[in-house]
Amino acid sequence: MEKLSSLAELRALQERIRDERDPTQPTVVIPSGTCGQASGASDLIRIAKREILGNGLAAHLRLRITGCRGYCEMEPFVVVEPRGTFYPKVRPEDMASIVQAAAHGEVLPDRLYREPISGARFEQWSEIPFFKRQRRTLLLRNDRVDPIQISDYLENGGYSSLARVLELEPAAAIEEMKASGLRGRGGAGFPTGLKWELLAKQESGTGKYLVCNADEGDPGAYMDRAVLEGNPQSIIEGMLIGAFATCATEGIIYVRSEYPLAIKHLVIALRQARALGLLGDGILGTALSFDIRLARGAGAFVCGEETALMRSVEGLVGEPRQRPPYPVERGIGGKPTAINNVETWANVPVIFERSAAEFASVGTPKSRGTKIFSLVGKIRNTGLVEVPMGMTIGEIVHDIGGGPRKGDLKAVQTGGPSGGCIPARLFDLPIDYDTLARAGSIMGSGGMIVLDDETCMVDVARYFTAFLEDESCGKCFTCRKGTQRMHEILEDITHGRATVDHLDLLEELAAVVQDTTMCGLGQTASNPVSSTLRYFRSEYLRHIVDKRCDAFACRDLVGAPCQSACPLGTEAWRYVAHIARQDYEEAYRVLRESNPFPSVCARVCNHPCETRCRSGSLGGEPIAVRALKRFLTDRVDPSMFVPKRSARAPAGARVAVVGAGPAGLAAAHYLALEGHEVTLFEAAERPGGTLRSGIPPYRLPHDVLDREIAAIVSDPLVTLRCGQALGRDFTIEGLLGAGCGAVLLALGAHRSLALGLEGEDAAGVFPAMRLLEASNLRGEWLARGRVGVIGGGNAAVDAARVALRQPEVDSVTIYYRRTRREMPAFRGEILAALEEGVQLVELVTPMRLTVREGRLTGLDMVHNELGERDESGRRKPVPVPGTRHTVPLETLIVAIREECDSSCLSGEQEIQLGRGGTVRVDRETLETDRRGVFAAGDAIRGPDTVVDAIADGKRAARTIGCFLRGEMMRRPAVPVLPEVWVEHVPLGDDELDRAKRPAAPSAPPESRRRSFVEVEQVLSERAAVAEARRCLRCDLDFTRPRELVAQHQPAEASR
Amino acid sequence: MIELAMNGIHATAERGWTLLETAQFYGIPIPTLCHREGLTPYGACRLCVVEIGEGPGARLVSSCTYPAQPGLRVRTATARVVRARRMVLELLLASCPQSKVIQDLAAAHGVRRQRFRQEHETCILCGLCARICSEQMMAGAIGFRGRGGRRSLGAPFDLASDVCRHCGACMYVCPACQLRCTFTDPEKAVCGGCANLRPPCVEKPAFDDLMCFLTPCVACEIRADTKGEVRK
Repeated sequence: MEKLSSLAELRALQERIRDERDPTQPTVVIPSGTCGQASGASDLIRIAKREILGNGLAAHLRLRITGCRGYCEMEPFVVVEPRGTFYPKVRPEDMASIVQAAAHGEVLPDRLYREPISGARFEQWSEIPFFKRQRRTLLLRNDRVDPIQISDYLENGGYSSLARVLELEPAAAIEEMKASGLRGRGGAGFPTGLKWELLAKQESGTGKYLVCNADEGDPGAYMDRAVLEGNPQSIIEGMLIGAFATCATEGIIYVRSEYPLAIKHLVIALRQARALGLLGDGILGTALSFDIRLARGAGAFVCGEETALMRSVEGLVGEPRQRPPYPVERGIGGKPTAINNVETWANVPVIFERSAAEFASVGTPKSRGTKIFSLVGKIRNTGLVEVPMGMTIGEIVHDIGGGPRKGDLKAVQTGGPSGGCIPARLFDLPIDYDTLARAGSIMGSGGMIVLDDETCMVDVARYFTAFLEDESCGKCFTCRKGTQRMHEILEDITHGRATVDHLDLLEELAAVVQDTTMCGLGQTASNPVSSTLRYFRSEYLRHIVDKRCDAFACRDLVGAPCQSACPLGTEAWRYVAHIARQDYEEAYRVLRESNPFPSVCARVCNHPCETRCRSGSLGGEPIAVRALKRFLTDRVDPSMFVPKRSARAPAGARVAVVGAGPAGLAAAHYLALEGHEVTLFEAAERPGGTLRSGIPPYRLPHDVLDREIAAIVSDPLVTLRCGQALGRDFTIEGLLGAGCGAVLLALGAHRSLALGLEGEDAAGVFPAMRLLEASNLRGEWLARGRVGVIGGGNAAVDAARVALRQPEVDSVTIYYRRTRREMPAFRGEILAALEEGVQLVELVTPMRLTVREGRLTGLDMVHNELGERDESGRRKPVPVPGTRHTVPLETLIVAIREECDSSCLSGEQEIQLGRGGTVRVDRETLETDRRGVFAAGDAIRGPDTVVDAIADGKRAARTIGCFLRGEMMRRPAVPVLPEVWVEHVPLGDDELDRAKRPAAPSAPPESRRRSFVEVEQVLSERAAVAEARRCLRCDLDFTRPRELVAQHQPAEASR
Repeated sequence: MIELAMNGIHATAERGWTLLETAQFYGIPIPTLCHREGLTPYGACRLCVVEIGEGPGARLVSSCTYPAQPGLRVRTATARVVRARRMVLELLLASCPQSKVIQDLAAAHGVRRQRFRQEHETCILCGLCARICSEQMMAGAIGFRGRGGRRSLGAPFDLASDVCRHCGACMYVCPACQLRCTFTDPEKAVCGGCANLRPPCVEKPAFDDLMCFLTPCVACEIRADTKGEVRK
């Protein structure tokens, strides 16, 4: 290529390149940045080349290899221009057909992008929600050029901005820069125009430097890399414009060695620009002389700080120094130096391409233009997104990022290690420099890590502090020691060794580190700690006081997740391990030890153990713990288990338990084991509480329930008195007066809430609990004809399935105001209901009941659409005007919520009630406001799970025991860790590939539609053992076999 | 001349003075461990922080490195400054509890306990030794290695340096382990630092020919006896 010696020659070259190329020619574009190559783009390129050359397509099909396009989640992908057809996650075997289709102007519909939630197909990349909501300016330029072809850059108007600037006065260029309002994209947000002006004013006989800071080191941030790799010429052009405006003589691009592809592309770009005379002396025939060289950093994070960067360029150790003097006064080698971030430089040609005013029209008044964020973490669409400043975090995370992969979002971490965490409830904050700073975080270079409820905030703070401890240069004592000590304290917290005093110390230290360090790294080093402390203090306290990590991330507090997730602390890993060894009796013993209702829980538990199972959270299927429990309870004779008794109770200690539901029965059982005399009062005719009245027999057969209750009430120390209601037949006062040392209220929550609509007292309208009670206890069938159920919880689904089984019923439909995804009922139950023929109508709200002659005839409803997100990140249902309609119904079941019927406590002055009629208790001791009176189960929680009620009963038994003995009821929390070693029976390599979670067998839907026979069946022994062997055995981290223990120190073995 | 306000007093500073020099000129005490006349200011220990500016823009800077600037408002003993200094001293005590200098400073600032896990280090990485070696002794035998928690001081590759003249200046200026020479006298063994110190002299095969002016210092003997096992 000839050197260009004037502006006219540059324009002529641009024209010539444009004329040579046909914009309508089909082009296969393969983005191949570092990210693309890592996911296989190089293979695609090779296949595409072979296909094009081998089939002689080169004449009418172009291939363009570009840098990263941003949608990293879908890589490697291919875009076919000019239509912009988008093929995500292309496999090598599909590439040939894509090339063929492109050559013939065809589209392969089944290879197109499909939106995961709605399932909609999109052909063009620009229509896909991920791209559509962005305002791609810099990244759009990445799409259009092959980074190693300067001709591509020139074709797309490259160097036109430089040509325009060269015709201005330097001062006018600076004015335009200032008018654009561009602020430094490296994090601090200093106005770029102002920096240039300061540099231009410096007198220097020996020259001035311009530096491009490409020392991008934040974990999880890579937007600078994408720009360097994808469009290096734009950096060169930006720096040339800067050189002209500030009379700088030398440019340096400081790039870390970890970016080999960026270095390669930069070297090529610099060589090509020099060959065209765009770098060197007398650029384009003007007086501008400027050249750029590369300086490679060794990857120290602190070298991104400008004074450390300068020392690194000088060949010294990268350590920051005091400012002032600022680099624009005294920089590299003592010469004035202006340092700008990659993205800032890339924005310069954009500003001068059109005008400063046009650039400034985007964004907010104090933060102009667009910003690239690297959106990573627990989100559906990871990648680089470019949005106008001022877009809210929620829009980026939910609309562009596609929301959480599973679970709920908790926070977003912005600005890398120096940034902070912003909680989900502040997701409507607009993103700009100042708002983020006020929220306790920083914009930083644009890293955005999305965190969900499986992320522990203490662990996040610990991670970033560890990073900073490692990356601190060590010059400032408070940064070096401060980060080390903060890390130490956080480590103590995550290991359960810290006290509340540590938290104060941590806060004090964080403030001092921020105050007393010299450079930006140290001053922001406490941000991860202080922002998480600010928004997630309760999580810290939970670690310190309760020794629990609710995200199940801190290994030394969690132990085996199945065990610590279980409210009862059941050693699920242990009985699963015994099943794997086929020692079923020992397994049953382990299970029964912690749970007096193993058969009940094997059927109706919501199995938090499976939800938290590491086999599942690591991406596979969780172990089917509940099905294994069912296998055990069906196989082992319960009489083999003889509970251990103790005589800890004071002689003649008597306790009254009111309510024989799961909480009351469990409490009675454990109290009796300690030697207390227990009297159980039950208002109904038979014991069982919600287990009998609320759960239909096809889920929990009555004979199974009866067996387990009988085992408890047959205890000689337990006396059961049915048909005795509190307030009617006896009072708390009377019980305490009659020699009871303590009273436990386990009243349950049986009262369904009303809709609050007119006509609810008409015949044919039933609360769900009444329908269930009538059917479960008395075999009465209340539902008939067309049945509607309102609600989305387990009571609604149970009621629907019970109604469906009743002979006079024609059809059952559940009406829910949101969508199925948001229903709180168990997934499996919803699925089973739909299988049996229950209909589900989403997004409707009842407005009015139509009643004729005192009988329900129909229901007026209005359609909803999902509107704004509420604090939980779920969209709120909003009625759509003009969609009101009536459905004819003969029966309506209301199951919106149940609450505790505490009217029986109306005579008790001392016992205070809380929200929804619940009894107020001390959450740790379960004691009510009245001394000696305790409460447990749904009575204190509102409607909740069976296992929580049993756990409450168990806990109440312990604290009542302490109370009667006059001991402390509170106990310091200790982490629940596995303590017993059980032999591991691992799967062989060949078995490992085939092992998968078994589906519990169930009766076919047709046969169960009209029958109350149990639906779910038991696993075969083979399936159960295979499943048990699939367990990852998290407990083995904490235990060791006896032979090994003998060889080691006794202290070590005590775990 | 530069006019500025120091603790509300009108002060004038020579061009090129730092805030620390200005304060010292006016007799305002500012504690420091890494500053020494005749050596380049470094700003490592952060004890000499002072508050500059006012209102929400006020911030702490190390007075030893911050140049005196016209119109600057400097306060050397605000609550914020004192809180920071006390925390710095607490951190120092947690790391180097045996240094007499640090103990005295901590006592003077009312720091009576430290709440971190106790460490027993002998070096606070103030860099005085490296600076005196290269700037005054013109040797450059020792310097910093590593970064963050792994930062340490010593000769390259921990080998006896060819350029070291065994002048002892590095030990002389060290603030963390003064009184080291009382090590052999148990009653006065406040610091015991010399047992752990790694002075360049000990790498020499014979210490008789050393030009060590710290006559009672026995660091080299201890090292010779134990083959370096005393040190951490």
